[in-house]
Amino acid sequence: MTRFRSIGIGLAVALAATGVALSAQAADKPVYGVLLKTLSNPFWGAMEKGIHDGADAAGVEYFMQAVQSDQAAEPQLNTCNTMLERKPAVMITAAINSTILLPCLKRATDMGIPVVDLDANLDHAIAAKAGVKIAFTIGSDNVAAGKQGADWLVSQLGKDAKGPVLVIEGLAGNITGQKRAKGFAEELAAIAPGLKIVASLPGDWDGQKAANITNDTLTRTPDLVAIFCANDTMALGAVEAAYAAGKGQQITIIGVDGNVDAVKSIKAGRLNASVAQLPYLVGKEAVEKAKAVLAGQKVDEFTYVPTLVLTKAVLDANKDPLLQYVK
Amino acid sequence: MTLPATASPAGLPLAGNGEATLSTETATRPSLAPSWWSRLAVRFESLVVLAILIVVLSVLSPYFLSISNFLNILLATAVIGVLAYGATFVIAAAGIDLSLGSVLGLSGVVGALSINQVGLPWPFGIVLCLVTGAACGLINGLLNTRAGIPAFIATLGMLGVARGLALVLTNGVPVYGLADPVVYLGQGRPFGIPTPVIIFLAVGAIAHFVLAYTRFGKYALVIGDNESAARAMGVRVERHRVSLYVVSGTMAGIAGLLFIARVNSGDPTAGLNYELTAITATILGGTNLFGGRATIIGTLIGALIMGVLQNGLNLLAVSSFYQQMAIGSVLILAVWLDQLNRRRRMR
Repeated sequence: MTRFRSIGIGLAVALAATGVALSAQAADKPVYGVLLKTLSNPFWGAMEKGIHDGADAAGVEYFMQAVQSDQAAEPQLNTCNTMLERKPAVMITAAINSTILLPCLKRATDMGIPVVDLDANLDHAIAAKAGVKIAFTIGSDNVAAGKQGADWLVSQLGKDAKGPVLVIEGLAGNITGQKRAKGFAEELAAIAPGLKIVASLPGDWDGQKAANITNDTLTRTPDLVAIFCANDTMALGAVEAAYAAGKGQQITIIGVDGNVDAVKSIKAGRLNASVAQLPYLVGKEAVEKAKAVLAGQKVDEFTYVPTLVLTKAVLDANKDPLLQYVK
Repeated sequence: MTLPATASPAGLPLAGNGEATLSTETATRPSLAPSWWSRLAVRFESLVVLAILIVVLSVLSPYFLSISNFLNILLATAVIGVLAYGATFVIAAAGIDLSLGSVLGLSGVVGALSINQVGLPWPFGIVLCLVTGAACGLINGLLNTRAGIPAFIATLGMLGVARGLALVLTNGVPVYGLADPVVYLGQGRPFGIPTPVIIFLAVGAIAHFVLAYTRFGKYALVIGDNESAARAMGVRVERHRVSLYVVSGTMAGIAGLLFIARVNSGDPTAGLNYELTAITATILGGTNLFGGRATIIGTLIGALIMGVLQNGLNLLAVSSFYQQMAIGSVLILAVWLDQLNRRRRMR
């Protein structure tokens, strides 16, 4: 029966450690909880940098968590619940979808912890129904980003341009991707009706998938004139596929985010443009505003950080003051 | 060479089961009826790993050791745990079910749609959830046994089909808003304990009983240990395998129900890659990937090891990149300890 004796010893050790841990409870000081989607994406990397710098500037402490991928919805909910154990002063969360975090955020609301909707992923009406009080939403206006993409495309090709256009959406059902694609499609139909969207397909934020979609669409529509992708990762995939098919020069490709890789590609003259979302600024301002909320000040329910269209010309000139926030 | 006197005289490779719950009718070994403790027995190494983790994390994080945090861990483990029960039944008989995560997603979506869109009363939604899971399992089982498609391939196919169907049914958009009683299954706290935790433990108790004490469970282990011996005993192997896939599909249905109830929405992408996590929990708990040795309590402990580890690393604010490495390392460590122990016993 040595086995059971060892189990007993194991349990005894566990109990002893329990006592040690209980006596070692740390003194509490206000710490901000930050829950992102994933760090394996330059967009969230820039957001993290902004949060870090914002916290430094505001003199606050924070702890940050993220999950493995931007599709790991339930793990994000579990992580959120765990974070509440540390009783953060405020919860700054970028929810993977509009509903997954609601049970946890309701708990936060019940605990009196203000909830910040980072990157505008929550639906305020649904959140209110679930008993979640959102202190404020901060992010980028995704419809406007799509619209800006269409405006820039038409400024390049002209109002009377004709030809087929491909739209590559984000993850099927993701609200951010839907807004960007919708903003682009509506604006394009309004200002350049000759440019027809022949397909609008979900690329799941995945460069590889976007490349395949581009290839397949080129088989069917070889005279494609433009591709709008709901993020840069997909735009870069589309660029590579277009060049591989020998049509890199013929097709104008636009992404959204303004991430590091996209900037490199634009500077190298491959990707044509990216509507930069300045996540750095979003993260920085989120912390500053959260501090204001905790100090009892009133902040706007919605804050949209401006976006700008990055092109080779803009990057080479290096004059736009917002460029300092493109990380 | 000193072979133990208990080596199976018929030359059947029945030995090597360690603490298996395999028993009786077949037994050519002296230990006929297993005592209660051998049925409860789980791989000792798993318990050691769990205890060490709890001790270390308690020391490292002041937030770890509290009742509310342990309820968090159980809550976070519930969905994966139920899925892992399903995996345990199939793996006990040397099968594999790769479709678990997708079937979870599909069952949840069917349940959510039937309540939210079709407007069926909520009990039907719950039943449909489970029936969808069971039906997927039935198809898996029939493909495997009747059509002769290897389990790996048949369930891999189902992984794609079920996920695709879930996306088609919902058009890729989560279905938000279920009936209150269903939401209670996921968010309620009778006596302060989250309902999913109660369901997780209750299903575990039933599954343990079935696998360790009933003919159904014993046959599954016999098939996993030695299929020809099972046939010789008169076990209808094909039929039994189909039933096991139905059990695992039903477990995926229960997990799907817990998932939608927890988040009050049927998400077509729910449970992505969960099959691998469930199989990991099963193996951590001491189940032999090639069949013949499996316990539900072991699986429960395996799932808890992962839940505790993840929770602790979250409390310590360790990056998600390292978390994946940690879980991988613990899996290898636990199985290695087991191997060491086994080799020692053989000597």
